[in-house]
Amino acid sequence: MIGAAIKKDLQLLLRDRGTLITMFLLPVVFIAVFGSIFGGGDRDDRRRLALWADPASPRAQAIAAAVRGAELFTIVAAPDPTAARAAVAAEDVDAALIIAADVDPLAGRPPELAIDQAGPTQVRMPLVGAVSAIVARVVVPMPPGADQPMVAVVTPPGIRRELAGVTGFQLTVPGNAVLFGFFLALTVGMAFLEERKWGTWRRILASPVRRSTILVAKLVPYFLVGLVQFTFLFGLGVVGFGMRIGGSVAALVVLTIAVVACATALGLVFAAVGGSEKRMGSIGSVSLLVMGLLGGAMVPRAVMPPLLQSIGLAVPHAWALDGYLELLVRDGAGLTDVLPAVGALAGFTAVFAAIGIARFRFER
Amino acid sequence: MTACVTLRGLGKDYGARTAVGAIDLDIPRGEIFGLLGPNGAGKTTTISMIAGVVTPSRGHATVDGHRVGARGGAAKRALGLCPQDLALYEELTPRDNLAFFASLFGLSGAALARASDWALDVAGLRDRADEPIRTFSGGMKRRLNLAAAILHRPTVVILDEPTVGVDPQSRRHLFDSIRALASDGMTVVYTSHYLEEVAELCPRLAIIDHGAVIAQGSLAELVARHGGPPPLEVELAGDEAAILAARALAARHGTLDGAGAILRMPRPAALAPLFADLETAGAQVVRVTAQPTSLESVFLALTGHAVRDE
Repeated sequence: MIGAAIKKDLQLLLRDRGTLITMFLLPVVFIAVFGSIFGGGDRDDRRRLALWADPASPRAQAIAAAVRGAELFTIVAAPDPTAARAAVAAEDVDAALIIAADVDPLAGRPPELAIDQAGPTQVRMPLVGAVSAIVARVVVPMPPGADQPMVAVVTPPGIRRELAGVTGFQLTVPGNAVLFGFFLALTVGMAFLEERKWGTWRRILASPVRRSTILVAKLVPYFLVGLVQFTFLFGLGVVGFGMRIGGSVAALVVLTIAVVACATALGLVFAAVGGSEKRMGSIGSVSLLVMGLLGGAMVPRAVMPPLLQSIGLAVPHAWALDGYLELLVRDGAGLTDVLPAVGALAGFTAVFAAIGIARFRFER
Repeated sequence: MTACVTLRGLGKDYGARTAVGAIDLDIPRGEIFGLLGPNGAGKTTTISMIAGVVTPSRGHATVDGHRVGARGGAAKRALGLCPQDLALYEELTPRDNLAFFASLFGLSGAALARASDWALDVAGLRDRADEPIRTFSGGMKRRLNLAAAILHRPTVVILDEPTVGVDPQSRRHLFDSIRALASDGMTVVYTSHYLEEVAELCPRLAIIDHGAVIAQGSLAELVARHGGPPPLEVELAGDEAAILAARALAARHGTLDGAGAILRMPRPAALAPLFADLETAGAQVVRVTAQPTSLESVFLALTGHAVRDE
């Protein structure tokens, strides 16, 4: 009977375009958009800086050389100061650095950084800061051989080394997979409602199949579809967006099974307490989006205030993402590294299943 | 007469509201048995308890000797339910629908294929078996609804208002199918609020109202017991004004039906005052005939309201 139920629900799902779009197309769009925002692949996302330095001034040339050598910007050489400023006004570049012959910041004659001061802070401040630091290194006298990094960046013991060449897609693929993967819960809840609305639920209840089997047979197809959804999104991430899996694939599979089981169990809660189609659609969608937000599926929890980071651990999304990031951005991570996440997800699954079973009403 | 379905003190409460009191009923084997009552009378709750879909608050039911709700589900295996709502997956084909519902009764492989073909033949849908049923007419869906209830060849099939929204052709097909199933030995429980359907199909019936069986027996028995005197049909002659005046006076003697010079009404306790009033109005009585007592009048006599009033 469970086999027939899987076949039937898959047939129905394949004809439900709205659900298919939510499960498969929307996450791809989100991945593409957010991945691009966070910086993807080998694309050159450096700010464009027009540069003119007085050719007769060794000091101006030294600053210009330091700016070029920092490789923080895409340098556009300007023929003269006017052309450099015009390039900013024409929005051909983000800023222009104009270094006159008598440049001496300590004497009150700093180089000119032409930039739209009404522009976004997120663009202006890092650019101003980076240029200021480079100029300072040239201007402030340094002893010979002091051309070393100002800080030594190291990963302390106890933390796995980061995967080299991590792109924005390493974050947005799991983020959106988790966000939209948990929408499976809404699909499960709706599937129960539709079964009641169509009257088929009565016919199923009139059959000799045990009620516990009916419940399992209704959930299993959606669990399988959830696994297909994650396989599709991670596969697309690897093939289409150059995402790399730094850790164990087996651990990734175990973690994904835990995530999908959790989403399916949450679906049973929706089916049990969701009420009408309208209510489930609105409250369910909003609660899943809030859970996704708190869990770091839209914005990484690492950039949230400490209190929000702690609150995030109360939703399964956070644990799922912690597990995925462990496997995707750290080299050589394995099953033991994601055991806390898998354990927490199993706990959420047990709680959701217990609530769902206790509150579910076969007869309404 | 052996009972195929028995109800003993069967009742259901929803909170403080009693949907079905405590019903005792024996449904004979191999017959089409009518369960007649207005909407909200408790018919669907009663058959839901028989089908094991709703858990009774009191009493019990047996189907083909098996107690409903007992472990093993023997009663459910012996029963097919055709719900009032179209209990079908509209996006799937008839064959896909039947395959799923057959699997609920353990059918698979060749047995499932045979059962599906037979049920599709009964429904007259074999040639449309692989089209999505959302394209079907209401009548075709109703026929498929019946097919899904009988494909495991139950001993008893419960049909809950099976003709709601069907065209006359499909209704005729459903009736023929139901009679054929009964002649093959299947017990059919037919619920409806259409009196004429129950009268046409069911040799025996129970009338249910406000969650209680208020009468049961054959149609003839019920008419004899509760039908009262046969209604009259009076044909008048006279000019238009006389006929109008006669109708106005006749209305004092009972509920008036018919049109123009034909008056149809329940038989009054005394005929002489009626005829005197008609003559006073200037109309002549041409013909008086006694009409056969209908199930409608039985229902009216038992409940005090027409079957479709609620």
